[in-house]
Amino acid sequence: MSLNKRNERRLYLRSALILAAVCGLLLTEACGVRSDMQDQPRYDAYEKSDFFADGRSSRDYPEGTVARGHLEDNKAFFTGKIDNPDPNAQAATSTDANGNTVVSSFPNAVTEFPLPVTKELIDRGEDRYKIYCMVCHGQFGDGDGMVVRRGFPKPPTYHDDRLRNAPVGHFFDVITNGWGKMNSYGYQVQAADRWAIVAYIRALQLSRNPDSNLKMTSTANSNTATPAAAAKPQAPAANGATNKGGAK
Amino acid sequence: MAQIFRKSANNIAKISMVSVVLLAGVGFYAWTQLARSSYLTGQYLEIQQPVQFSHKHHVGDDGIDCRYCHQTVETTASAGMPSTQTCMNCHSQLWADAPYLEPIRASFRDNKPIQWNRVHDLPEYVYFNHSIHIAKGVGCSTCHGPVDKMPTVYEENTLQMEWCIQCHREPEKFIRPRSEVFNMAYRPDDTDQATRDQLKVDYKIRSREMLTSCSTCHR
Ligand code: HEC
Ligand code: HEC
Ligand code: HEC
Ligand code: HEC
Ligand code: HEC
Ligand code: HEC
Repeated sequence: MSLNKRNERRLYLRSALILAAVCGLLLTEACGVRSDMQDQPRYDAYEKSDFFADGRSSRDYPEGTVARGHLEDNKAFFTGKIDNPDPNAQAATSTDANGNTVVSSFPNAVTEFPLPVTKELIDRGEDRYKIYCMVCHGQFGDGDGMVVRRGFPKPPTYHDDRLRNAPVGHFFDVITNGWGKMNSYGYQVQAADRWAIVAYIRALQLSRNPDSNLKMTSTANSNTATPAAAAKPQAPAANGATNKGGAK
Repeated sequence: MAQIFRKSANNIAKISMVSVVLLAGVGFYAWTQLARSSYLTGQYLEIQQPVQFSHKHHVGDDGIDCRYCHQTVETTASAGMPSTQTCMNCHSQLWADAPYLEPIRASFRDNKPIQWNRVHDLPEYVYFNHSIHIAKGVGCSTCHGPVDKMPTVYEENTLQMEWCIQCHREPEKFIRPRSEVFNMAYRPDDTDQATRDQLKVDYKIRSREMLTSCSTCHR
């Protein structure tokens, strides 16, 4: 809650003026410059706190608490996974020429969108894809974004058989939890927006390969939140354990 | 009895009367200028940060969208600041050993936030909200200037009340289509006045009386 330079200087000017105008009367009062209105005894977003040990005024929820409307009990919608009826189902993996492990089957991933696939959803997905993914994956998903050109490891293209055959739940899982050298985007992108991005990636794959038997089916009769309802505004820096930093 | 004042004293009296008025005028003018000067408003002052973060590189050269880092700008009052993890999305791989990124890695390791110094800071008796401006087609660059060309962020505008008001009086002179809000290459004359007048209607922007009423910003 300390004053910044600018406010400080302005205060000096102002107090000098006041002093000049009503010097005698005010001299006793104005000895201490007051700034209670500029800097009120409350925290602005991201303001530094002297009270909490880590210096953050934005606190995480206490462990085990759930905000109203954020129970997230719909597993398919919030994780992209279901319990495979066959408990012994294993992901098929192989090793590529560079010695990296390649996963090519995803037994627990959902295969259908848990929300209705509409044009609005795909448009929203395009918008979000261009904010969060394009810098690495490139405009059309070829893995040639600007940041990759500056030296970030190249992601795989979306337009090969392995990722064309991957179920939608896998894409959702990659965004939510990260994958190899790619970090998780779960804390930056809301669940409904993640599905929107997945729908857009599917649309990209289809546009490059219209004859493939890709389908954009959805279990639309599910009672999951609609994109509008689930895309609730996110409180700054108060959602879960992934928040680090950002204090001011 | 000798006269105390000679005749010329009349002139002195007149001159001093005029100069008092003049001095007061000049003083008042100087004060209005000083109050608008960047010394007091902080306009154009570059603020140094704990890490030499450059919007010019990240936005201008690498084309990262504002919302990648300022995530809540569309939904809340605050634009939101990137968490250390957001930097690590790229810098865990990219320039992962560069010494000038050490504060970022230290922050990530120790779970201690980076303390950015504020560039824009309204007094707390003013209510400001990003989300409504974004929703009604006010572009980032209208208020913050060419951030994509700034190695160090500075205040493009004074953030004084008269600056807010000159737009709230006639928002139709400043708004742009929603799709262009984040476009830093957009120029005001990319949209003609007739279209902007129509946007004001389409976006249901309220009357000048509403927007300049004191309680809009002082609540
Ligand atoms: C900072 C760069 C970067 C960003 C931003 C990024 N990714 Fe990735 N992504 C990668 C890299 C690198 C890989 C390869 C990871 C590996 O195999 O180690 C990858 C892999 C993937 C894969 C393939 C997983 C597999 O099965 O091989 C998908 C799908 C994916 N990303 C989706 C996304 C989506 C959706 C977004 C936006 C929300 C996104 N990525 C944002 C770098 C990025
Ligand atoms: C890679 C992450 C990143 C991106 C992308 C980004 N910013 Fe920033 N921004 C930051 C960081 C970190 C700071 C704090 C350090 C500083 O002030 O330079 C900041 C500070 C700012 C500030 C000053 C905040 C204050 O203290 O008053 C403004 C204004 C701003 N950004 C606008 C933008 C705009 C507009 C865009 C899009 C054109 C953008 N930023 C894109 C990371 C980013
Ligand atoms: C989406 C990827 C990405 C993110 C997120 C990102 N950076 Fe960078 N950063 C880059 C790239 C690419 C460069 C190389 C810039 C260039 O050469 O154009 C870079 C360069 C830098 C540099 C070197 C100086 C310069 O500007 O060239 C600093 C310091 C830096 N980043 C700090 C940060 C901080 C702090 C954050 C978090 C707020 C951040 N970066 C987030 C991609 C990223
Ligand atoms: C109507 C003018 C206006 C527009 C449009 C605007 N800003 Fe701001 N911005 C401000 C003001 C005023 C502040 C200072 C707020 C304060 O001190 O409480 C600010 C502060 C910020 C900050 C510092 C953090 C905070 O919220 O206090 C960032 C970051 C920022 N703006 C980014 C952006 C980005 C990105 C955009 C475009 C999406 C944008 N702004 C659009 C006026 C604007
Ligand atoms: C470039 C134009 C522009 C500037 C500059 C600007 N505003 Fe606004 N402001 C708008 C528009 C347009 C709206 C939307 C009005 C509506 O929806 O009726 C708005 C709405 C608002 C609202 C919401 C009103 C409500 O009742 O919810 C507040 C508060 C506000 N502005 C405060 C500010 C403050 C404080 C500043 C100066 C720091 C500022 N604005 C600068 C254009 C601007
Ligand atoms: C569009 C938003 C807006 C509206 C409407 C508005 N103000 Fe302000 N006001 C501000 C801002 C921003 C500041 C802070 C100026 C600064 O920091 O220099 C301010 C500062 C002030 C101050 C303190 C000035 C100083 O230098 O200490 C007073 C007094 C004030 N406003 C009165 C009013 C009154 C009376 C009205 C109604 C006629 C009004 N304001 C309407 C945005 C607004």
